[in-house]
Amino acid sequence: MEFGNSGCLSEDGIHVDMDRLKKGEVNLGTSIMAVTFKDGVILGADSRTTTGAYIANRVTDKLTRVNDTIWCCRSGSAADTQAVADIVQYQLGLFAMMNGKPPTTQTAVSIFQDICYANKDRLSAGLIVAGWDERHGGQVYSIPLGGSLHKQSYAIGGSGSTYIYGFCDANWKEGMEEEDAVNFVKEALKEAIKWDGSSGGVIRMVVLTEKGADRHLYLPDTEYQVRHE
Amino acid sequence: MDHRPQAWGRPRDDVYGAYDYSYLQSGGPKQMTQSPVVTGTSVIGIKFKDGVILAADNLASYGSLARFTDVKRLRVFLGTSVVGFGGDVSDMQYLDRHLNELAIDESYEGGGAQEEHGEKGKLNAANLHTYLHKLMYRRRNDFDPLWNQVLVAGLDAAGKPHLSSVDLRGTAFTSPSLATGFGAALAQPIMRKYAATEEDAARLTRDQAVKVVQDCMKVLYYRDARSLDKYSIAVVTKDGVELKEDEQLEKQSWAFAEQIRGYGTQTV
Amino acid sequence: MTSIGTGYDLANSIFSPDGRNFQVEYAVKAVENGGTSIGIRCKDGVVLAVEKVVTSKLLKQGANKRIATVDRHLGVVYSGMIPDGRHFIDRARDESRSWRDTFKTPIPTADLASRMGGYMQAYTLYQSVRPFGITAIVGGFDSELEAAVDGVVGSGPSVGAGGKAAGKKYGGPFLYMIEPSGLYWGYYGAATGKGRQAAKAELEKLDLGSGALSLLDAVKEAARIIYVAHDDNKDKEFELEMSWISGADGPTKGLHQEVPKALREEAERLAKKSLEDEDDDDEKKEDDKMQE
Repeated sequence: MEFGNSGCLSEDGIHVDMDRLKKGEVNLGTSIMAVTFKDGVILGADSRTTTGAYIANRVTDKLTRVNDTIWCCRSGSAADTQAVADIVQYQLGLFAMMNGKPPTTQTAVSIFQDICYANKDRLSAGLIVAGWDERHGGQVYSIPLGGSLHKQSYAIGGSGSTYIYGFCDANWKEGMEEEDAVNFVKEALKEAIKWDGSSGGVIRMVVLTEKGADRHLYLPDTEYQVRHE
Repeated sequence: MDHRPQAWGRPRDDVYGAYDYSYLQSGGPKQMTQSPVVTGTSVIGIKFKDGVILAADNLASYGSLARFTDVKRLRVFLGTSVVGFGGDVSDMQYLDRHLNELAIDESYEGGGAQEEHGEKGKLNAANLHTYLHKLMYRRRNDFDPLWNQVLVAGLDAAGKPHLSSVDLRGTAFTSPSLATGFGAALAQPIMRKYAATEEDAARLTRDQAVKVVQDCMKVLYYRDARSLDKYSIAVVTKDGVELKEDEQLEKQSWAFAEQIRGYGTQTV
Repeated sequence: MTSIGTGYDLANSIFSPDGRNFQVEYAVKAVENGGTSIGIRCKDGVVLAVEKVVTSKLLKQGANKRIATVDRHLGVVYSGMIPDGRHFIDRARDESRSWRDTFKTPIPTADLASRMGGYMQAYTLYQSVRPFGITAIVGGFDSELEAAVDGVVGSGPSVGAGGKAAGKKYGGPFLYMIEPSGLYWGYYGAATGKGRQAAKAELEKLDLGSGALSLLDAVKEAARIIYVAHDDNKDKEFELEMSWISGADGPTKGLHQEVPKALREEAERLAKKSLEDEDDDDEKKEDDKMQE
């Protein structure tokens, strides 16, 4: 990636080339996934955010809570996906208060999809929504660029995902134990990070079950072996 | 330095040149607002003696990536008609929901209207086609097309088999056999061998027609790089819709690859 | 409710000094003059029935339905002013449609009742409107199965979703009654209109709370109760109209539908027979007394 005046902060540190902001702002480059397993779902993501080839943030949290046990993985424009997640979080909070019970994953994905479809020509957002609720257990939905909605047993997304379609298809088993599912996500993301320049940093996971949300963190300097507490 | 408030926080014109307001897209002629992202390929359909057969594979592609392999593109309407969708999957889902609401509107009339008028009291496939035609044409005139090619299968008001198509431009056809996308080039010629005219189609038995459709799906799988060997097939007759959504292409022909050596004079 | 409003009844949204809204109470009067409507919630479904008073011999038999479908799984019947009821149904259809647009699932019966209760209550608040002259009975069957998002493609894991809370049941039959004040409660059995007292007495005998009554029996009971309640309206001809909603594994497959003609006629035959038997019993008792 070439670096001219454009793309850099200029000398006064305030004025930024608008053209560059439009086109490159924050890259799609990412590796995200979510899987169902015996007791619920696991979401996983790398932590790299890039502007062109520059790593704007090396410890990004791409796993976003929209309700206690409904989370999403964000890929695409950071600004767009944050805005969408914020709206859904608000709507689900309202839903929970008005109905006196937590929303289901279905409720969340229909709101997500509504926004992504209605604004398809304005958004670049590739989302994976995963949630657990006591009625439906763990569910994974994918909402790719155009705003379609796909129910899946596991979903992968972002630029890094293209490198792990084969790995995931070969190693996927339905109804895994938690430990095996965590390993599956970790190994898949390790491959994605290895081959995709736009993915990297730490591996974050969130396990959603009856017990609530449980965060995992794995660091590259321990070869992602140790769960960081 | 430009001190006007409207310039605050904006790139300085003296450093960066005037801002290109065309990004804001206010005013000016409206443009095509979208292009398909997640897409389904061909849908094919053929009439026979007692009804219509529709088929489409279960793939939704993301560019050349075979991303979703369990996408059911044949949708049943009111238990009497089937709509097959090619093109953008998000628009297919929009249309599916829209038709679902239309079906609920129909249920408002309840059993009464049907007791009175029989099947004629229901929205039949011909009516549905007219509706979809107007909807698609309206959307293309709004420069916001629904990026689909659609086949409608069912019966018309007279109880005769009905097969028709609409595309994203609002172009509508009916014919004894129809196909969208690659199917128009690869499947249509095969189907026309068996059902060139309404009379030919009216002589086809159900088993013959199913066989023709299966052969066409096979050719499409051989030659369409965005296709899959898992497909759905629907048979619509006056008795309703039989929909099978998890069919596998059988009896494929590949063994002749053995005879192919090199690309010209080579024989070993 | 014999008192006169002494001026406090001339406008909506005005309380009388002893805390009454006379316009609402007059609206209840309008309901009490209408043909009887009932709803029964039993273990595997809901039955709605109405005594449709025939106001003219020139009306076509079986036409001009009084029970309406609001969504696939929802039905509404009402007593009182028919045009008000028609508007109520239009609104209920809009509400369930807007729920579907937002959440892409069918509206739960409780949520529809809540929204319609709120809507009717709003008509007791303003000078520019009058309360609804109806009491509506809303019946529905919320799916016990996992609800799919409308239009979704793909099916998730073939082994099914993991981590569901064990042993819990969801959905089922529900019944609500909404009054002109906007008040609504959930019921096992609900009755309104002219013959409501008799109908309620009959409904209480059914012990609906125990969940023993089957849907098929409920249809027969509903027909009988409408015939019993018609006693209060004897001088007028009526038609019986009935609808039912079962679960996905029941006769209507989760849909709100008119009770099939054959079953309705059978239920009517039994209803008439039971009334005749009762009359005979009464006569016998009187005979017994004379002998004593």
